[in-house]
Amino acid sequence: MERALSVAGLSKLYKLYDSPRARLRALLTGRQTHRPHWALKDVSFTLERGQCLAVIGDNGAGKSTLLKLVAGTLQPTAGRIDRGGQGRVTAILELGAGFHPEFSGRENLRFAGALIGLGEDEVSRLEAEIIGFAELEESIDRPVKTYSSGMAVRLAFSLVTAVEPDILIIDEALAVGDQHFQKKCIERIAAFRRNGCTILFCSHSQYHIRQLCDAAIWLDGGSVRLLGPTEMVLAGYETHVRALDAQRSASAAAVSASTRKPLEAGRRGAITSVTVTPLAGGDPPVLAGRDLTVSIAASVSGDEQPNFGVMLEQARGVGITVVATHVDGVAPRRGDDGTWTATVTFPELPLHSGEYVVSAYLADSLGMVIYDEWHQCRRFVYTSPARLPGLVTLRHVWA
Amino acid sequence: MVIASLRAELVGLWRARALLLMMARRELAARHAGSALGVFWLYAQPLLTIAAFYLVFDVVFQMRLGSGAPTRAAGIYLIVGMVPWIAFTESTSRGMMSLLEAGGLLQKNPLPPVLFPARALMTSAVIYLPLTLLLVAAYAPLHRFSAALLLLPVLLFLTLVLWFLIAYALAILAAALRDVVQIVGFFLGVGAFLSPVLFPPAMFPQGLAWVLWLNPITPSVLGFQSLLLSGDVPGAEVWIGLACWTVALAVLLDRLVMRSREQLVDWL
Repeated sequence: MERALSVAGLSKLYKLYDSPRARLRALLTGRQTHRPHWALKDVSFTLERGQCLAVIGDNGAGKSTLLKLVAGTLQPTAGRIDRGGQGRVTAILELGAGFHPEFSGRENLRFAGALIGLGEDEVSRLEAEIIGFAELEESIDRPVKTYSSGMAVRLAFSLVTAVEPDILIIDEALAVGDQHFQKKCIERIAAFRRNGCTILFCSHSQYHIRQLCDAAIWLDGGSVRLLGPTEMVLAGYETHVRALDAQRSASAAAVSASTRKPLEAGRRGAITSVTVTPLAGGDPPVLAGRDLTVSIAASVSGDEQPNFGVMLEQARGVGITVVATHVDGVAPRRGDDGTWTATVTFPELPLHSGEYVVSAYLADSLGMVIYDEWHQCRRFVYTSPARLPGLVTLRHVWA
Repeated sequence: MVIASLRAELVGLWRARALLLMMARRELAARHAGSALGVFWLYAQPLLTIAAFYLVFDVVFQMRLGSGAPTRAAGIYLIVGMVPWIAFTESTSRGMMSLLEAGGLLQKNPLPPVLFPARALMTSAVIYLPLTLLLVAAYAPLHRFSAALLLLPVLLFLTLVLWFLIAYALAILAAALRDVVQIVGFFLGVGAFLSPVLFPPAMFPQGLAWVLWLNPITPSVLGFQSLLLSGDVPGAEVWIGLACWTVALAVLLDRLVMRSREQLVDWL
């Protein structure tokens, strides 16, 4: 395999001065009066062509610093970054930077294109495609100051991704525009990945990380806490986050029963109901039987066939399983009123006794874009016939 | 080697020259974007200032300078020093702010910071170099197109190099400490009094003439006055003054670049 990106011993020191005056004095005299703050300490990894690395960690863990160093907007204090020769590196750090409000979208394309290394003739060649992807044919000759923030972001994304890069750096940029455009963005990034583009991806969406990335790096206080296959690193990080949540508030269990949002303008779909059966009384209710059934209903605009996902977790503890229609190759049903439904049953629930919580997800036809999620929306208590410690009873065979 | 950091900056600037031209063009377009007369305004302000000096000093009040001045008419004298002084204040203040204003761009795009002070200087040059040629056309008949005018491009080039060093050094200092903007702003407001722009050096008190050389504009203005007003080759003090200022600033800028390179973008 061809090595595309190699980072060795990368460190970044921020010099903190007590005052700007101290900074000026250090600049003029060369004397060191700062307090050191290591935003990144000795980070090393290697990516081969076509690999996608997720960067995860708490706020302030050094994720953005790492991305900016690889993008080249920050200079490292120590270490080496080898971007595999003269390949094209595209960074989607914050979209829309560099547009001048008085100039039209078309005029801004030339300048913003030059900033990311596209020549004027290259921008001219790509112009129609860029404007088409951003869906701004009508307004491209109007000043950018008349654009909505969504329009400006669409134009920026369309421009920076117009040329397929060798290395793509994405910082939380998937949450751009409305859901329709988000879907296009994710599809474009997935296509780059299929074509062999190496991706460094920082996101809080574990779903997208699982979809796109084959490896993950977990940064903690600037150092690498864990580096390896996505699932392994995410599992470690999830445990860490759950422990933190538990610490932060003992009342975390009292999270609101649902985080549902109404179907706003621009939304492609929304979950309308989630039912867990069979439930008996109690708070939280008790599962009255050994089979757990979860039914989800949703409305989706247009004729697109959506996909559903269900996540089952311990109420205070770990995630247990996620199932999804697109993974299992099941098509949700469409009712006469246009509502989409899917029902999943876990027969002979192999869980041990405890309190559990269900989350429901609505995704697009490819299972790429999450249209809606009801996070931890239904709780239930399950009493298992198993009288042994543990979490689940796995299928097993004694010899 | 000496000034290795500065050399690396200049090499980076040369590599990004196409982008620099593009940025300068856009900067000029942005200054008059939305106005009806467009590019006219870029030149109108300095032209109107020149016209006002001529009308007030030479036509209305007919002020005369004393002996020791290279010309008698005060307006004619003032204009030769005022045009470079206005150009200097503009390129210096814009250059000084250039990095602070480019913070957002620099944090999101891997661009060499040197582009931004260079752009400030370049846009000022696009406006004031044609005006300088206009002055040459107006003043050359005073000394029947003296051959010394052939030295004008050399003087202009050296002056631009010095101004670039000043703009970039101040841009880094302003990024480190915003107060620099206020201090330099004050100097740019009163600096014309500490220069040969308003009065010939002969009119300064004997013991204080050396103060003039603390102003980086002095050698250039004296050079322009020699070439334009009397058609003489500028004296050795002009070239030595320019050389001293340039070397001192090149060394200072080299240190600033070396010490700030790793953190400059974080300060913006």
